[in-house]
Amino acid sequence: MREMGWLLKPAPLAGIGCAAAVLLSGFAMQNSQAPTASRSGVSAGASPSLEIIVSAAPGVMYPPEAGAGAGHEAGVAAERKSAADKLYPDGVHLLLVQASKATPLVPEFAASADANVSFDGKSILFAGKKTAADHWQIWELELAGHKLRKVIAGDGDYLHPLYLPGRRLVYSRQTGHGLELEAALYDGTEQLPLTHLGADDAPVDVMAEDVLEDGRILFETGFPLGTASVVSSASSGHPELYLVYSDGSGVESYRCDHQEAQKLGGRWGGRQLSYGSMAGDVLFTHGRTLGRFTSPLSAEASVVAPAAEYAGLAEASEGNWVVSARRTARQSFSLMELRPGTKRLKPLYAQAGMNLVEPVIVAPRTTPRRHPTALHPWTTANLMALDVRISRDGNLAAVPAEVRVETLGADGRAVDLGTAPIAEDGSYFVTVPGDKPIRFALLNAQGGIVRAQRGWFWARAGEQRICVGCHSGPEQAPENRIPAVLLKTTVPVNLSGGAEGQK
Amino acid sequence: MSRQLSASIVIATVLLAVFAGPDMRAASRTAKSATQAAQATGSVASTDASQDDPDEVRAVPLEQYASPVELLFSPDGAWLYVLCQESGEVQVLDASSGRMLKRIAVGRVPRGFALSPRGDKLYVTSSWDDRVAVVDTRLLRVIATWRVGAEPTGIAVDRTGTRLFVANRISSDVAVLDAKTGSELRRLVAGRGASYMTMAADGSRLLVTHVYPNPRGYRTVPESEITIIDPQTTRVVERMPLHSIAGTFHVALSTDGRLGVVAHLHPKNLVPLAHVEHGWIFGDTITVFGPDLGMGPGSAVEVPLDELDRYFSYPFGVAISPDKRRIYITNAGSDVVTVVDVRRLLAYIHAHPGGFAENLGASAYYVEAHIAVGANPRGVLLSRDGRRLYVANRLDDTVSVVNTASNRVDKTFALDGPKTISALRKGERIFYSARYSFQGQIGCTNCHIDSTFDGLTWDLEPDGFGIGIVDNRLLEDIRNTAPYKWNGSNPNIQTECGVRTERYFWRSQNYNDRQLADLTLYVRSIPARPNRWRLPNGQMTPAQERGRALFVRSVDNFGKPIAVKNRCVYCHSGPMGTDQKSFDVGTGKKTDPSGLFDTPQLTNIALTAPYLHDGSARSLEEIWTVYNPEDRHGRTNDLTKDELNDLIEYLKTR
Repeated sequence: MREMGWLLKPAPLAGIGCAAAVLLSGFAMQNSQAPTASRSGVSAGASPSLEIIVSAAPGVMYPPEAGAGAGHEAGVAAERKSAADKLYPDGVHLLLVQASKATPLVPEFAASADANVSFDGKSILFAGKKTAADHWQIWELELAGHKLRKVIAGDGDYLHPLYLPGRRLVYSRQTGHGLELEAALYDGTEQLPLTHLGADDAPVDVMAEDVLEDGRILFETGFPLGTASVVSSASSGHPELYLVYSDGSGVESYRCDHQEAQKLGGRWGGRQLSYGSMAGDVLFTHGRTLGRFTSPLSAEASVVAPAAEYAGLAEASEGNWVVSARRTARQSFSLMELRPGTKRLKPLYAQAGMNLVEPVIVAPRTTPRRHPTALHPWTTANLMALDVRISRDGNLAAVPAEVRVETLGADGRAVDLGTAPIAEDGSYFVTVPGDKPIRFALLNAQGGIVRAQRGWFWARAGEQRICVGCHSGPEQAPENRIPAVLLKTTVPVNLSGGAEGQK
Repeated sequence: MSRQLSASIVIATVLLAVFAGPDMRAASRTAKSATQAAQATGSVASTDASQDDPDEVRAVPLEQYASPVELLFSPDGAWLYVLCQESGEVQVLDASSGRMLKRIAVGRVPRGFALSPRGDKLYVTSSWDDRVAVVDTRLLRVIATWRVGAEPTGIAVDRTGTRLFVANRISSDVAVLDAKTGSELRRLVAGRGASYMTMAADGSRLLVTHVYPNPRGYRTVPESEITIIDPQTTRVVERMPLHSIAGTFHVALSTDGRLGVVAHLHPKNLVPLAHVEHGWIFGDTITVFGPDLGMGPGSAVEVPLDELDRYFSYPFGVAISPDKRRIYITNAGSDVVTVVDVRRLLAYIHAHPGGFAENLGASAYYVEAHIAVGANPRGVLLSRDGRRLYVANRLDDTVSVVNTASNRVDKTFALDGPKTISALRKGERIFYSARYSFQGQIGCTNCHIDSTFDGLTWDLEPDGFGIGIVDNRLLEDIRNTAPYKWNGSNPNIQTECGVRTERYFWRSQNYNDRQLADLTLYVRSIPARPNRWRLPNGQMTPAQERGRALFVRSVDNFGKPIAVKNRCVYCHSGPMGTDQKSFDVGTGKKTDPSGLFDTPQLTNIALTAPYLHDGSARSLEEIWTVYNPEDRHGRTNDLTKDELNDLIEYLKTR
């Protein structure tokens, strides 16, 4: 499959079994580095009506892979239950910043973070703990009347909620194999796991970053997808941005120019812009620089911005950006104003001893398009490739003989689900288990690996999906022809490992 | 209201849903609206409370929307002629100010016009009248109408002004006419659905495109062509292939004739439609050709306009700037004009000799701008100096005037016509817009060109991959043919256009209730275009009469009774030629989930090849000669070749 990081040669199970990092919107907090004092107050130039909600924490560990993995090396489920608290060792709380004043948003909470403003601008979702002993849960606050409602609650931690269209929300749920994305209705019912990565002994963490105008969820996890290598390697495993529909189908990389991004430290903190010449672009950070994805380009585009560390960005209605940034690692993150296309950070608000991160603007915004799920009532999924030879890594000269499908066992080891023949035009058609980590390898006639997927991905139960090639990139549209495999049979080779099937 | 339009006042006599059509609503000139229909649609029909019958409405003048589609300048550039498809007229504007000078009624559903070399005559095709209207540009009135072929669309005049060339969409040919008398001199075979044409500035070549793909084998890659005609010899000198293309619209040549461009659709009908993203259903592309490519004689390169996350749907009109630096393309489904930098495009072409038609990341390297214009932009026209680009916005009755130096709309000319937007018009806008599909890739009209069909078969996803291949059915006059879909599973148009389309075609939230009601109203209102095989006054040719007798016969050629259920007329009954039920007539394939298929209506069936549920029959004849071996699809194997021909002649009249 094109989006999952193929190699020219067989690759080791990079990251599998290694410790995972917990990513929280591109930054993690830890009190090992004391914040430095900064001035307080909103600059005179800021709009007095602008309301900003921000997470305020005394300490912050940044960038995330610098040390967030220290607590996860055991990599066991029991250890990971408290992973969310490790992000906020000295506490965190939401502040409402307006006209040079900052007010605790939910002072009755022991901890609160991860605010997301509703599409009408009247409510926010956030992750909070009423008492220090509680799990992180998802709450909704009506801003006008300060009416609180617990939306998602359970035995584990729930983090980083985002509003979805269709009266749903998406959030990360702490599971035995990492933070997984889950969606639910506003009333907390119909909880639906969206991501299916990792294993108990090979945890993977996934965090939603934004909901794009087209309804897809932009999320962040380590690269290659489904590996826990974010903290384990200096040469690979930095965060990367991915997309998934709100029913968990259609997972893919936003773009496939991974190599350059990994050199820069990965990508995280993605936000889709709504105003000006960059409307529709997805802005993100590499840590000390900003980058963006545009619609016309298959690789990231540069963003003019001053050198700084960035820990969140929000777009003010007039087109200016409110960023959380700091010049050096010894400073605290504070709120700054950044006019797109300029290199000047204008101080907006700072609080001594506090890192102000992940700003959001309290304002109505366009509701993204709802995704109408078309999943079938199956336990398996059907996957097809049109031509496995096509790849950004270089097209294969010859058609491989077979494709092998593997899934991830609970112990973090790959489990072979079998092979299927590849037709003369490079197409294949297989049934795979739904809602489980899977990966592909192309084999020659002798059974040797021609190319293998480094990471893992999943197909939702009932999903039918087709890739143009293997790692061909989202810029590659399909050629209009009948795949040769369908001229032989319309029945996929069952590599579901005994899953119950379809009809 | 102008005198011309007064002549075309509509007296409402039938349900409003009946008369409002696709791009051809002007066809029906009398109508009567039910109170409820008028209220529901917000249409211009009004009720008279004094009448006894609340469903009756008084006769009201119903002015047609202009729906501009094509533009021309007068020779001095002072006047702008605007061809208005729905109101059936040419509106003459002051090209600088947009001031209305004259409205000239020209006939039903005009689609193309051309100016004589001296500019004294304007020739206009009336596609529903099968006529060419000749307008005297000094008198600004029609001085003659000439009968031509079936559904005349594009029209061109040769350099001497002695010959006219008319592209006939239904007969798929080009008629050569004497420009003085209108008498037809010759017919030249063109592509299927011949429609648009351009004459080289030196008069040496005439290029003709066609909107439906040329007939080919079952489930093969669609092929189209640019038919190149020598205007002097009136012969076809070349058929330039357009591989993988179906739905070809305007074509343009640079002034020196060394650069050509044609706008078209690149469907993905052979790939299972598992999703929409990554250009999975349609590519919006142009083909550039000519010596300026520097790639040798006959070279042509398909050029994508789409991006990774944004599509520029339905490329329709094209223009090349006089200095050949820019190509302008209207994207009718996306309401923009795309500006291509020719120098950068040629550099990209040379750097990618293997082609890049499927590369959604390519357009970044040669598309200079997207200019937002009005709804459903169609024809474009550059001023002689190339400084202004005029764009006909069909569905908001305006002409955008673009400053080509800034790539911004400087002015917008509003055409004469209704200022209120009826529900029907809203529904039509929805039909022709791609904004409701995922990332704006496709609209209804991608597969139903000009509210008809596309001549393609598709592999839809819900049944599986390679399973349940379906032929695209005609949308004309379908309001009383429920259920819908080949398997008859959609009970009404609301379901077909709403839930089903959202889930399996658009793959994105589509319409709210109001929009769906408007769209449904529009689809229900699409009329059947005039049937070209019917004689006046309901008469029939002898062959048609014989065919009708075969259609209703109860005894075969051997004197044996034909079971009631095995007579043509049993399933294809009623005014629409369908009993609206499903039957297994033995046409199912092993890849079909079921052998049961909805009985298709017979409306204008002569136009809609291929046939059967999966398009496996290339002609009407093949339905019986190839796909009816056991007489399960009606008793036909006793028929002679001549009798089959008679049956077909009758069916063409439906």
